[in-house]
Amino acid sequence: MEFLSNNFRKIHIPHSWLILSLFLFIDSYIGLRFGSGFLSWSGIPKGDILWILQSLEMMAFGIVIVNKAVKSSTGKFKALALVSTPVFLFLLVLFTLDTLLKGKEITTIFYYNLSSISLSALYWSAAYMTVAVGLALTYKVQKYGNFAQAEIMLLGSYVALIMMWSDMFSPISDASSDGILNYKLLVASAISAFVICGFIGVIIDKSVYKPLRKRFASAQVLMITSLGVAMVIRAILYMRFSAKTFRFIPDKDWRLLSSNVEVPTQRVDVVVGSRMEEPFINIVSNVGPYGFSYSKIALVVGILIAISLLMFIMHKTILGKKMRAVSDNPDLASISGINVENIHSTSSFLAAGISGMGGALLAAILPVNPELGLSLLLPAFAVIVLGSITSIPGVIIAAFIIGIVRAISEPLLIGAGNALDRPTAGGFAEVMPFIFLIGVLLLMPRGLGNALHEWNVSRFKKLEKQKRKSLFFVTDLFEGFSRFLTQAINLVVQRLMIIKSHRLFLIYIIQVKSYILELYLEVLNRIGSYLRIALNMAKWSTPQLLKIDKETNRGSWIFFGVLLFGLILISLLLPSVSYFTKVMQIARIVALLGIFSLLSFSLNIHSGFTGMTNFGVIFFAGIGAVLVGILSAPIETNGYGWGAFEATIFAVLVAAIIGWLIAYPTARLRTDYFAIVTISLGEILRVSLQAEPLLRAGTVTSAMGISNYELPFKNWWDSGFSDSVGSFIGLPGHAPYVLLLATLSISLCFLTWWIISLLLSSPWGRILKSIREDEEVSQHHGHNILSHKAASLALGAAIAALGGVLWAWLNTAVWPDFMSPIRSTFLIWAVFIVGGKGNNKGMFIGAFIIVLVEFIFNVLVVSRSSSDLIFHSLTTYIDKIFGWIIYDLGGLIWSERSIIEAFPKGTVILELSYLKLALIGLVIIVALRAAPKGLLPEILFKPKRKGKVGENE
Amino acid sequence: MYTKGGLIFKHNDSETNDGGGNMNSKTIYLVALSLAIFAMMSAACGLGGGGTYKIGLLSPQTGPIAVYAPGFEDAANVAIAELNDNEDGNVFELVVIDSGCDGTQAATAAQTLIDSGVVGIVGAACSGATLGAISVASEAGIPMVSYASTSPAVTTASDNGYLFRVVPSDAQQAVALTAVVADGGDSNPAVLYMTNDYGSGLADNFAANWSGAVCTTNAYDPTEGSYDASTIAQSVIDAGCDSVVLVSYATDGAAIIEALKGQGFSGTIYGADGIADAAFASAFTDAAAVAGVIATKPRPGAESSAQSTFNSAYSAAGGDSEGIYTHETYDAINIIAHAAVEGSDDIRDDIASVGSNYDGASGVHNFDSNGDVAGTGYEVCQFDPAFTCTRVWTASGGLASQ
Repeated sequence: MEFLSNNFRKIHIPHSWLILSLFLFIDSYIGLRFGSGFLSWSGIPKGDILWILQSLEMMAFGIVIVNKAVKSSTGKFKALALVSTPVFLFLLVLFTLDTLLKGKEITTIFYYNLSSISLSALYWSAAYMTVAVGLALTYKVQKYGNFAQAEIMLLGSYVALIMMWSDMFSPISDASSDGILNYKLLVASAISAFVICGFIGVIIDKSVYKPLRKRFASAQVLMITSLGVAMVIRAILYMRFSAKTFRFIPDKDWRLLSSNVEVPTQRVDVVVGSRMEEPFINIVSNVGPYGFSYSKIALVVGILIAISLLMFIMHKTILGKKMRAVSDNPDLASISGINVENIHSTSSFLAAGISGMGGALLAAILPVNPELGLSLLLPAFAVIVLGSITSIPGVIIAAFIIGIVRAISEPLLIGAGNALDRPTAGGFAEVMPFIFLIGVLLLMPRGLGNALHEWNVSRFKKLEKQKRKSLFFVTDLFEGFSRFLTQAINLVVQRLMIIKSHRLFLIYIIQVKSYILELYLEVLNRIGSYLRIALNMAKWSTPQLLKIDKETNRGSWIFFGVLLFGLILISLLLPSVSYFTKVMQIARIVALLGIFSLLSFSLNIHSGFTGMTNFGVIFFAGIGAVLVGILSAPIETNGYGWGAFEATIFAVLVAAIIGWLIAYPTARLRTDYFAIVTISLGEILRVSLQAEPLLRAGTVTSAMGISNYELPFKNWWDSGFSDSVGSFIGLPGHAPYVLLLATLSISLCFLTWWIISLLLSSPWGRILKSIREDEEVSQHHGHNILSHKAASLALGAAIAALGGVLWAWLNTAVWPDFMSPIRSTFLIWAVFIVGGKGNNKGMFIGAFIIVLVEFIFNVLVVSRSSSDLIFHSLTTYIDKIFGWIIYDLGGLIWSERSIIEAFPKGTVILELSYLKLALIGLVIIVALRAAPKGLLPEILFKPKRKGKVGENE
Repeated sequence: MYTKGGLIFKHNDSETNDGGGNMNSKTIYLVALSLAIFAMMSAACGLGGGGTYKIGLLSPQTGPIAVYAPGFEDAANVAIAELNDNEDGNVFELVVIDSGCDGTQAATAAQTLIDSGVVGIVGAACSGATLGAISVASEAGIPMVSYASTSPAVTTASDNGYLFRVVPSDAQQAVALTAVVADGGDSNPAVLYMTNDYGSGLADNFAANWSGAVCTTNAYDPTEGSYDASTIAQSVIDAGCDSVVLVSYATDGAAIIEALKGQGFSGTIYGADGIADAAFASAFTDAAAVAGVIATKPRPGAESSAQSTFNSAYSAAGGDSEGIYTHETYDAINIIAHAAVEGSDDIRDDIASVGSNYDGASGVHNFDSNGDVAGTGYEVCQFDPAFTCTRVWTASGGLASQ
């Protein structure tokens, strides 16, 4: 007792916090229960917003209490506080809902089917692990976040399909059910997916990442390159297998309705709301068993085996020791005689192999199509962040925790959604991992694996050496096995060096296949003379351009001018059917350029100048777009009827305030954690757009999406001004409205650019850069890091929101798909890295390139069936070559049947949209290979010195 | 077709003239390059004409509903092949482009289609993409006929009358569904639906029209890897529902029905036009699960052969077996083609006149002033496990046997 009371005194909560939390609790309780409280007295929030705010107030109370309890307790009590936090918060959620529903006089039941919950949690954690383990390994050894990991997993799924269609295994898959589970195909697919994906991982590492490593490219460059790799892989999968859905059937008996293990279960019904005599919890035991399908068991078992093998390699073998050495300090490892490049190959082999194997097993559960990987990638990032990124045991624990969170939240969301007239609430289950992760990072800013690591360290200190000796025999066995594994993997990696002879192979292909020659001649024939002129121009200008130092002010401007001229020329040259449509085309390019530049400027402030890895560009842009849409939609269609400009100013201000506010809890996080928090916020907003009725406007039925909002100057433009503009620039009729938007967007872009450059050349700009370079030093100089970071976040958020507003106007509708990060945040990151971080000229050029490639490759896409377009005749040759690759070259690998499945019409054609996807990916990869610092790198400030202080000293 | 009087051309003429005698090599290259490419552009754009009509198709080739793109394109190609076989001297070309199921990408794609000289655009599938694309198309005076956007926002979009759709709004089908569920004797259905326009629109309307109790409602994101079919199935069983109204597409619908049957659910499963197709059975691994599923779909015109003609042509052409909205795509292509051939001053009038009592594969279409169609009632079909449609539902007559 004395121990308890002593420790209790250590939990010291300052009175101000206590009073605040008490106030929050009482105010929200009377608000939810009796419809009073400050929020309802103020009269501003009405309807559903009122109780949402009151519920958030209640949750804020919980967070204040938990935060203070964790921070002010020590020792065992801290651990206790941390562990009991999720339980406390879960109970608080139940209490909040109970109070709210009592106030509304509604009852609802949450059905917790125990087996269903726990097995579903197991399935989710295994599915997340397939991607997360590979991610963590790449992060550990190669030090970058690999966005292509989900695509590698998907490759594994397709390897399984190819095996299934092969002549050897297709009898197994086609045979009708005989009541006996046949493991052959499943095991063979899993193993070959492991090996093949591993090889592909090594090939990608050698051909794409190795050259970048040699040039000391930063982790961010590697990460954006992996984005390009992901695009290329996805495009190849689309090309080869089409967009169709396929099912992997290892044997009919695996996938029958009865192919599941029946697990007996009990149901816990939690009754909340205005219950009469019913108890709060009701245990029902006469429920039917829960069926857990065989294929899910295979996934869980397979993934766990693969991970335990990986753990064994990492911790018990020399190879693992080397890998950990390279991960800790590559230079030191290299000096100690470790071949670092070999370790890189091994690690990419294992990372890709495990994901590939998981993909093969997952294919037996889910229908497979090329978009499958994306929905697992972001949760997998959440998993590795929760597990402290590089720790494999951390990943396993984190995956289980996140699986449980997801499974437990589902019945709650369904029950609450049904009661509160929000049937779509179940959709939120998808983002529960992110919400949970944000909560954890606020309490434990260093993640879970860190705690695990510390625990391990203390445990090892205590462990007596005697105990180890008694395990002598076991360790000997381990040693032998580990040597065998090391040698096997080394052998595999060395075999891969044969790939160096690929050049000879290419020459062979070109000599043998006349199609390629024909295509080449056709290209020459079509655009050869222009190509020659362009090449001559390049030859003439390259030596002079190379002399220019891009990292000086003058050189940067010259380069900017040259690139800008080239890009403008290309946009003028894009074909169009008439002068009017050409004007529309150019206006659209300019409008998009303005929007993308604004978003890149915002990212440049956050990540380029302040050094905060913001992956939530679309979150801030989304705030702008959504607020403007809802506020300026007509009142009768669930909007608020504001004017376009009041709404814009309000939206930009709100974004700035949100940016400011999220700085305080998050700016202390390390950069990777900050990245995942921002990307999570974007995903939460995207799912809210799908699931929350308050975020819908534009129709009387409150259907999904925001539309029908007011466009700026639209009436004025239509009431005659468009005609005068039209006649001024020589159009037959009135000028299109997009011209006005283009003008607006590009002027706002230039205005913002000018303001940013003023701000950044001020002392404040230098403080930001000093924070980026070294936070501690700049803190010692007396700068308040947090408030400067908050200001930077607020400024960037406001700019991004402005870009989002313009984007909403251009699209005339905001749909949940608008928030998809692959079409926004990731593209802006490509702009940021390709353009050259830290240089706004680079942002502008990068945005121009990203906007323009879409238009250029679209011309290629439409030329297939458009007989009068320039590339039309090329498509025949492209198809011939593609057919040759599929039938003759690929025929060595896959069966005839696998071709027919993907191309049931018998003709093999290359869908050019997918070629376009691959080409955009290649543009990113090639641009970064050519200029790892970006096209226009940052101009570093070099103060002038007297005399010659140079390299010669 | 390219008008050479524009701004850009003037600019280049002056550059050539100013060049004169003292051109250095750089300007020579520049002038030569720009001239050469202008020649190329004129060549590229000057070839069309003479009874050739290009029709654009915005297809979601990448993005969340990419799986259904092959079906849309197959159906469109069936329509184009039929139009070209007509021997009336007109040649139709289908220009397919990726909408990405995204407003921005679809708008850029629409711009490219318009740049290449299409007479009309069929699409898009996703409502967000349709609304993005129409902002470009309506400015350019190019009509759009959507084949799958069911959102009511399509009705109210500011489109200058250029936006049409051949897929009826969800409201009516929801009424049909309520009648079918009530007729099946079920009083406590669960409503499961996708979190997209089609799913939430139909489910909301069902809830609004259903007079009895709804046992539980659950929404999920239909992207594979975002939902767990057995959890969804278990939530229905735990809540003790006697039937399920499932608003889904083929792939996710099959996964959920398999999970329901696998968990021992024995009630009736009702679906809508997303799954009402004989080919739905092929989305199942275990074909036994499809038996007993009841689904509604738009009813073709009385004594019309359009639907059966299309069905046989589609399967003869090897059309994608899991395709959805294929009939609508086929009709949309035909309507644009016929309107383009009529060729009066205003294509909107042509489409309106073609689209009056148009007897198509997906029903009889009459465009109202918003460019919407009301539909001619619904067929009620059942998988036993063969797919048969024995009843119809009409707004006036309610349920009746066919």
